[in-house]
Amino acid sequence: MKTSPKIRREVIENCKAGDERAFAEIVLHSQKKVFNIAYRMLGNVEEAKDLAQEVFISVFDSIKDLREEIRFDAWLTQITLNHCRNRWKYLKRRQYFNSDSLDDPIETEEGDVPRDVYDPSDNPETLYEKKLIQQLIQRGLQKLKEDQRELLVLRDLQGFSYEEMGELLGLPEGTIKSKLHRARMDLKRVLERAAH
Amino acid sequence: MDCEKARDRFSSLWERELTPFEEGVVKEHLSSCPECQREFDQFEKAMRWLHSVEEVEVPDEFLPELYKKMEERERIISAEKPRGGWFNFPLPFKLPVQAAAMVAIVFLVLYLTKMMPMGQYHPKETGRPSAPLSVEKKSEQGLAQKETERGRGTLKIPAEAPRPKDVEQAKAPLPEEKKFEPTTPQVRAETKTAEAPSPKAEVLAFKQIESKEAAKAAAPSPEPGRIEKELLAKKKPIAATKPHQEIVLKISDREKAISQLRELVRQFKGEIVTIEGNRFLASLPKNSFSDFKKELEGVSSTSKTDEGIMRKQNAGGLKALHGVEKEAVEGKSGEPAIPVTDEESRIVVRILLVQE
Repeated sequence: MKTSPKIRREVIENCKAGDERAFAEIVLHSQKKVFNIAYRMLGNVEEAKDLAQEVFISVFDSIKDLREEIRFDAWLTQITLNHCRNRWKYLKRRQYFNSDSLDDPIETEEGDVPRDVYDPSDNPETLYEKKLIQQLIQRGLQKLKEDQRELLVLRDLQGFSYEEMGELLGLPEGTIKSKLHRARMDLKRVLERAAH
Repeated sequence: MDCEKARDRFSSLWERELTPFEEGVVKEHLSSCPECQREFDQFEKAMRWLHSVEEVEVPDEFLPELYKKMEERERIISAEKPRGGWFNFPLPFKLPVQAAAMVAIVFLVLYLTKMMPMGQYHPKETGRPSAPLSVEKKSEQGLAQKETERGRGTLKIPAEAPRPKDVEQAKAPLPEEKKFEPTTPQVRAETKTAEAPSPKAEVLAFKQIESKEAAKAAAPSPEPGRIEKELLAKKKPIAATKPHQEIVLKISDREKAISQLRELVRQFKGEIVTIEGNRFLASLPKNSFSDFKKELEGVSSTSKTDEGIMRKQNAGGLKALHGVEKEAVEGKSGEPAIPVTDEESRIVVRILLVQE
């Protein structure tokens, strides 16, 4: 998994001092990561964009309280996850995910695509199929529990180490590993059900 | 190794986290168990797909939209600040301010209600609240103050009220006067002499008095009676009262009438207290008063009691008595004549001689 180089310490310090250019630099540096976590967690581009912007507003408001600049990435991820959890709860209350099914049309960046039942045993590595795989994964993630989704996004999509995840989630590595394994097995079952 | 334990190690096997020994044991199970092998193949495929997911590009205009949102938020916050300013103040500051405001409102309302309607109303009502206070205190000072206030109040009426109402206002005290009648005569003889009206009254002629002035003179008369009542309760001789009985005699020969009057008074074991021109104050035993009155009526062709005279006064008929009283008022700086009764057993009679 690709990890972006860490943001320079001076930029964070300048942002803390109220420098808007430093803030812009932070946004440009971290927006992809924040947006992708949000998108994988929520499964909707617009919601993910709105949430990512809220995250950066929170960063702007509270970066002066950040004591260890070196932990900026972990701090930013924590803010993002907190926003995701809150947004997920909010959308769930409004029954946003009620019609969510692997048979529903899939929302993509190019619009809704009718769902084809896909057999993972077939393996024509075409662009269309790649897209379908991504959509299936996205829908499969939505079917999982929130904490399972978090683990899969952080570890398998964002490439966080178990140590980082342990810090972020406040859990021991062993717990994270076992939870992550259960999440992966559940995802496998969801994908199998979608194929058959 | 059983199937369940082997499947629990799929993640570790896939991430190559198992020790070579553990990996060998799991692989050995997979090779011997086609079901677990198929499961592992499915797991591996799902993981491959999961890791094949590419990062989504951030939508265009992400940063400008973010700036817009921030500006909008700033605007909302700045707009909310003045509106919610008061609510944001801490309670220790808000409570005293609210309490002070409430007290101020209460005082304002009291001030307004006291100022607005009372000033235009009957002056007796304004004077009333102080009366019970003075009684309670039983102090002469309080009484004197009350009296002066009342005097001022009554004198103000005619000035403020239009002319036709003067007569009504002059009438107004009557019920009170009647109310206090039983007690008013309770003043000692010394007081009578001290407070007698000035003898300058050439009251025989019926003077035409301005109704305003007449009202001024007449209005205070019941008031001193009231005060006297209060003072008598304290056994202090204070002058300023009205006679219990007043008799007007119409005579043709003054000298003869006076001698007859003296004779009658003596006859009924009374005494003449004061003589002021044609006004006499006589003190008589109460039980002999009715006989005395009858005898006195024989002296004159006409005689009237005090009530009758008062009625005439109010109607503007007999101005002479007004004249007398007015003179008495002028002479005693606003205080009316003071014929009074002796205590309980005696009665004081004012006798007025009017030449026909």
